[in-house]
Amino acid sequence: MTDVGNSPRFSTRGLALSVALAVLVGLAIGFGVTRLAAPATPADDSAAAGFARDMSSHHAQAVAMAMIAAKKGNAHEVRVLGEDIALTQQAQIGIMGQWLRDWSLNINSDAKPMAWMPDGDKSLTNGNLMPGMATSQEMTALENATGKDVDRLFLEMMIKHHLGGVHMVDAVLTQTDDPDVLWLAKGMKARQQLEISEMQKLQTTLAKR
Amino acid sequence: MSISTQGGEQHRPNVVKVGGKPAAGAKPATGGGAKTPPKGVKGGPKKPITPVKVNQGRNWGPIAMFAAVGLIAVGIIGWGAWAAFRPGGAGYDWETRANAIDGITHVTTELKSNHTYNPEKYDQNPPVGGTHSYVWQQCMGDVYEAPIPNEHAVHSLEHGAVWITYRKDLPADQVAALAAKVEGKEMMLMSPVENLDKPISLQAWSYQLKVDNASDSRIDDFIGALRVNATQEPGATCQGGNTATGDKPLNEQQVAALTQQQQG
Repeated sequence: MTDVGNSPRFSTRGLALSVALAVLVGLAIGFGVTRLAAPATPADDSAAAGFARDMSSHHAQAVAMAMIAAKKGNAHEVRVLGEDIALTQQAQIGIMGQWLRDWSLNINSDAKPMAWMPDGDKSLTNGNLMPGMATSQEMTALENATGKDVDRLFLEMMIKHHLGGVHMVDAVLTQTDDPDVLWLAKGMKARQQLEISEMQKLQTTLAKR
Repeated sequence: MSISTQGGEQHRPNVVKVGGKPAAGAKPATGGGAKTPPKGVKGGPKKPITPVKVNQGRNWGPIAMFAAVGLIAVGIIGWGAWAAFRPGGAGYDWETRANAIDGITHVTTELKSNHTYNPEKYDQNPPVGGTHSYVWQQCMGDVYEAPIPNEHAVHSLEHGAVWITYRKDLPADQVAALAAKVEGKEMMLMSPVENLDKPISLQAWSYQLKVDNASDSRIDDFIGALRVNATQEPGATCQGGNTATGDKPLNEQQVAALTQQQQG
């Protein structure tokens, strides 16, 4: 670094070497940056994978409830809400299923439901049911209901279902830094909290109708 | 990166040397200064650059520029190469896992997927695929206590469900153990079947496994490999559908009545 010169020129050899070195360093940076940008995907027993599996099942029951409301709801508000929830949550099931494919993980797991959640086994009700899930008897009652009973049962069951869903979302938000999971989980939470308050208002409105 | 300068005694400026050897293809100097510089010094007064600093001739401007442009360009190439060749993304290999289950049957002949209102005859008992009812049997973890029509159950298999069936003489504790694998789990259904040659038979689309006892670990292997994965209709669901038991599929009027009832 102490070279003193008076004829500033580039050395072809030196230039070629520095270009070659720059190529190597650039490749290293390119690979390194992309590895950092796309870190190791979630493992089979990660909270992200557990959430993708369990929330898919949780959503599947919400879709079943919402389809009943969309078809048989007495109040038009209930039919529209049912259609909205069914289509939205079915699409979200598709998104979560694709995560597992992207991560090369099986959609099925030997782990019990909610095993990814701290104290998750304590949150199971009626055997293996995740928070907010309806029993098969409750589902049958909704399937067989008619008239205003459809609206009443649906709103009760879906408020409970959403509350359980938000509880599960809160658990994954503290356990993952996967940007896709965070994005969808936050979106679920915001939407389901909004729908809970809408459904509570609707219960009051329909009780007077 | 280390760029060392040429020996000072040469008094040659702007000689960038990396390592000890000249690059392949480096051309010897043509012309150049009075003294013979090391090989690779580009000669000629083509690019006289005014020395920026009084005391030294190293011209960091072009070097930095080349380095920066080179790093960015190659970084982009590296990024693309990683994106193109990175591992993973192929999804889960459920077929290998399914075919590794001891005693599993995989029907590789074509299984039709068309719809009918008529009762169907199937090559397997219970069936694992083929022509089926327009309506699927509800498979949201439904545990049916009486036989269900094959034509509806096959439609559930098409959607990706695993159907657990058992012979009527299966002990109650084993029936309960099987039901625990089904209840509350969508894409699962269970029912007794008449004339079953083994106590328990598991079905997914084109796959079947018959076992003698509910404690057989291959049951969980079968479910783990094939539930949802064996679907012929990715994204299909189990909600809705027929919930009635019986030995004959719903006829056209009954299907119409089912949808009518659902429309309220």
